[in-house]
Amino acid sequence: MATIKSGTFVPLYGADKAPVPVKAFLLDTYPVTNAEFLAFVKQNPQWQKSKVKRLFADQNYLRHWASDESIGADAAKISNSPIVNVSWFAAKAYCECQGKRLPSVNEWEYAALASESKADATNDERFYQRSLEWYSQPNPQYLPPVQKSFRNYYGVYGMIGLVWEWTSDYNSAMLVDDARSTGSSDQQQFCGSGASNASNVKNYVAFMRYAFRSSLKANYTVANLGFRCAQSSKVSVAQK
Amino acid sequence: MKSAPYPLLFALALGFAACQQEEHSCCVKPNTTANRTTTAAAQPVGALTDMSLYNLSSSWSNQNGEDLKLEKLQGKTQLVAMIYTSCGYACPRTVADLKVLENRLSKYSSDELGIVLVTMDPARDTPAVLKDFAASNSLSPDRWTLLTSTPDNIQELAALLNVKYKNDLKGNISHSNIITLLNAQGEIVHQQEGLGTDPAETVKAVEGLRINL
Repeated sequence: MATIKSGTFVPLYGADKAPVPVKAFLLDTYPVTNAEFLAFVKQNPQWQKSKVKRLFADQNYLRHWASDESIGADAAKISNSPIVNVSWFAAKAYCECQGKRLPSVNEWEYAALASESKADATNDERFYQRSLEWYSQPNPQYLPPVQKSFRNYYGVYGMIGLVWEWTSDYNSAMLVDDARSTGSSDQQQFCGSGASNASNVKNYVAFMRYAFRSSLKANYTVANLGFRCAQSSKVSVAQK
Repeated sequence: MKSAPYPLLFALALGFAACQQEEHSCCVKPNTTANRTTTAAAQPVGALTDMSLYNLSSSWSNQNGEDLKLEKLQGKTQLVAMIYTSCGYACPRTVADLKVLENRLSKYSSDELGIVLVTMDPARDTPAVLKDFAASNSLSPDRWTLLTSTPDNIQELAALLNVKYKNDLKGNISHSNIITLLNAQGEIVHQQEGLGTDPAETVKAVEGLRINL
């Protein structure tokens, strides 16, 4: 795991552009891989393809695997590639088994601000342009091994350009003040005027992530959605 | 954790040790019903269906401070909503909407139809606070169950109810307003979205369950 030092950032939501503090935390260096998830389901049969309850994972759960305990013919190609087609519940259970947890939206977004050389590359045009290009490319048939992905300032791989990732509070609304809208907040999330409420209009890539998250339900599985685990830092690093 | 832990400069030995111990240990508390233990007090019930919310094995406290599992709500139709008691605008409306439904559905006894309020603010909404809230809103204890749990458990239930909520820095909670209808098995059969929504559809959905023929 890599240590993400504490700091503040201005997330996409919030009318007052108030910086949100993020406490120091630990984040997995890589997204969880097919091989790692396979080991997990072998130990926890209730998370195997044929045994999982629909409440916790939809019918496409692990659809790219041959069977309950086998990746199948593509194993050689994708063992070290990020696991996908997993639900929020499955991701959460995996992390809990390791004594970890899913990162919060704020933690994930804060860590994702980093380029190769800077913890906060918000104003780095070139980095931003590259992120946009990453997001505009279709998924390859076989996702690359996690070690072959973009490594950021913290030594964390694949935060951008590999797969989308689950967060613990993906279902937090992006509304401000008292919620007077009916039902879902999708209008605020997807409508173009929603973007004008974004604190940094330039940051369209983050906006795409928030919009994507808001479209998810906890038992959904998606062919390019994986996860990595986090842990609250047990050591508070004094930084003057 | 990967096979080659990234060398850290900080004294993270503590954190690492904890991870390493956990790494190969089998999961002891899966959040499914695989290892469900039924307490002596629990009624023996049939196996839960795949889509029953009562598959959640989390522990909750009601307004009387009694610990319970969600499956205790099994066996009758339930209307479920998420609120918090210090909420100024939306939650009183949600409770009012639920009372309208209660009136429209008064032909069903409290053994047939229950109403459940789940707090989104466990820090402030202790069982005692929930009990006061129920009393000051004249919520009959036979009909209404108010629940609190850990933030994680609440977040998990919210995910299943499709309730989106967020704590802002000012102590407000932004949230979507949804009343969910669960059948006796705990499956979602209908959701009423918004505030002051016409209850007709929800009433029809409850009647469609044909619970007291």
